[in-house]
Amino acid sequence: MALLTLEAISKHYRQGEIDLPALKQVDLSVEPGEFAALVGPSGSGKTTLLNIIGGLDVPNQGHVWLHGTDLTRLKDAQLSDFRLFQLGFIFQAYNLVPVLSALENVELIMVLQGRPSAEREARARHYLSLVGLEDVMLRRPSALSGGQQQRVAVARALAAGPRLVLADEPTANLDSENATALLDIMHRLCREEKTTFIFSTHDPRVMERAERIITLRDGAIVQDQHLNQTAYADHN
Amino acid sequence: MTHETFHHHTTDLPSSQLALRMLLQLAWRNLWRHRKRTLITLSSIAIGFSLAVISIGLGDGSHNSMVRNAIQLGEGHLTVQPPGYLASPANHRFIPDGQTLAQQMQQLEIAGHIDPRISLQILASTAHNSVGSSLQGMDTQHDQRIRLLKPKLIAGLWLEPDDQRGILIGVGMSRKLKAKVGSKVVLMAGKQSGDSQAQLGRVRGIFASGVSELDDFLVLSEIDFARYFLLGESDSDVADTPATPITRVAVFLDNPDHLNHWKTQLSTVLKSEHIAVLDWQEMMPQLVQFIIVDDAGNYIFLTLILIMVGFGIINTVLMSVLERTREFGLLRALGLSRYHLLLLVFAESLLLSVLAVTAGWLIGGSAHLWFASQGIDLSGVMNESTEIMGTFIDPVVYTELSWARIIQLTTIIFITTLSSGIYPAIKAARVTPVEALRT
Repeated sequence: MALLTLEAISKHYRQGEIDLPALKQVDLSVEPGEFAALVGPSGSGKTTLLNIIGGLDVPNQGHVWLHGTDLTRLKDAQLSDFRLFQLGFIFQAYNLVPVLSALENVELIMVLQGRPSAEREARARHYLSLVGLEDVMLRRPSALSGGQQQRVAVARALAAGPRLVLADEPTANLDSENATALLDIMHRLCREEKTTFIFSTHDPRVMERAERIITLRDGAIVQDQHLNQTAYADHN
Repeated sequence: MTHETFHHHTTDLPSSQLALRMLLQLAWRNLWRHRKRTLITLSSIAIGFSLAVISIGLGDGSHNSMVRNAIQLGEGHLTVQPPGYLASPANHRFIPDGQTLAQQMQQLEIAGHIDPRISLQILASTAHNSVGSSLQGMDTQHDQRIRLLKPKLIAGLWLEPDDQRGILIGVGMSRKLKAKVGSKVVLMAGKQSGDSQAQLGRVRGIFASGVSELDDFLVLSEIDFARYFLLGESDSDVADTPATPITRVAVFLDNPDHLNHWKTQLSTVLKSEHIAVLDWQEMMPQLVQFIIVDDAGNYIFLTLILIMVGFGIINTVLMSVLERTREFGLLRALGLSRYHLLLLVFAESLLLSVLAVTAGWLIGGSAHLWFASQGIDLSGVMNESTEIMGTFIDPVVYTELSWARIIQLTTIIFITTLSSGIYPAIKAARVTPVEALRT
């Protein structure tokens, strides 16, 4: 059974008197554990599609089924809860809460989930260790490098136990070394945690590691390639 | 421990929760992101609030001083007198059996003083002039007026207990009558029948209270001297008339907070169509009105302070909200509900309010404690007289704040500050993740 199914998703934005189409009749199915990249030029609809999958935006038409739930039928509060318990987000601009330490940032979602204090601290420390930040987990974001902040964001997304992690150009602001390290970490966690990842990216380094590349152009999927990444996985 | 230990996916969808500790922790840290801005806001609120505390404290202090003096110079916290006397004072309205009344009141064991008095409308005359006056017969050794008026004697001596003809007059009346210590003054009172009766008094002393109503119109005497007029009022043989008629009993309570209790007790025990029990507010309605009007001025000042406080909070919290639109979008994206976002911003206002009120009370409370013990000498700014509404303010005013006032001020400032936090909180809760993350 597919984890994610998109049925004829259309989205347009109104600019004055003009309707600007962002997505046109997009159909997509993603299986659990996939490491998929949404690629395409700027304005092709990648971020809009990710936002709709994540329940951050609503389509004008169509349905988003995630693990049997039609997100388009959920109310605002239900969508909040859905995001909280089912989804993980990694944004281009790190987006950590600046007044919280790395550890507290990772714990934040679990606090909202109502997990016991001991459990969330253990999970937060565990995932921060997995992304190589065990020595800096008490620092606030301002005291971390860009690469470290994005790794905190990865730990935050995964520690809450989501079914699906959505990453919007996660390596866009990282240098080559940090981008590679981050991709290695995410790919490893995808395989070990069986968590599904969907990225939007321009970055060839991300595309190289993706097991599936979904190409968007002018709001429509023009290519959907399933790649064999066994060699890459074995190498890592 | 391996990461597999933790691996599971949530299948149910419980609602999001935000532990109070985390909420307050976040709110507290957010508050101090812009330390200078928060400190400036806090200082302005605290200083404004402390000014309001001092202003209200001074207002209450001067009002209480006026009331205390008015009670002391007037008819006590509670007054027992014939009904209708206040509306239409007349010499024939008196309590014939003052002795029995006094005994009944003694049995109540009121914590305070009970002063039987006789109050009469008279005409005081000398060879030079005549003046309409109020003759106040009292126990010249124990009456509560002694404490305020005896030190104000500027000529002669206070009345002796067995002085059957001695009177004390104010400096204004002595001028009008051209009377000195030792002068004879004829006191004449009209009778209900239309006749009049007169007694001869001799001036023993002259006082200058600073209150023109007293200095110009008051004649003080021993109660027995004034009683001659009441005995004469009966138009019958002295033997048939109760020996101790009085016009009223003034009750001075040790603890004015028990006023309502004793008023009820007296009204119950003395229940009669010939007796009315009035409190000082009923006896001095003009003074009450004056205080209400004067208080209104203080409340206008307080309102201005509250507006300042409100805008201070709105400014700080709203700026902080607008700056964090993106962050709120992130929190909403991560699963924080609108309600929790509203609570978070509201908690920031709450903490700011708590800090501001605490700082305000520290500054204002300290100033109040200082002025409550040292007082402010207003004699310089009040010219020669501190007289207001038939009473006077002590020249040195001490700030006074009752617990009720403290609770009232704290509640008002809290409600204002919390109300000020509502708009920014709603503004934050309206953030939509997609738009906010695009900023």
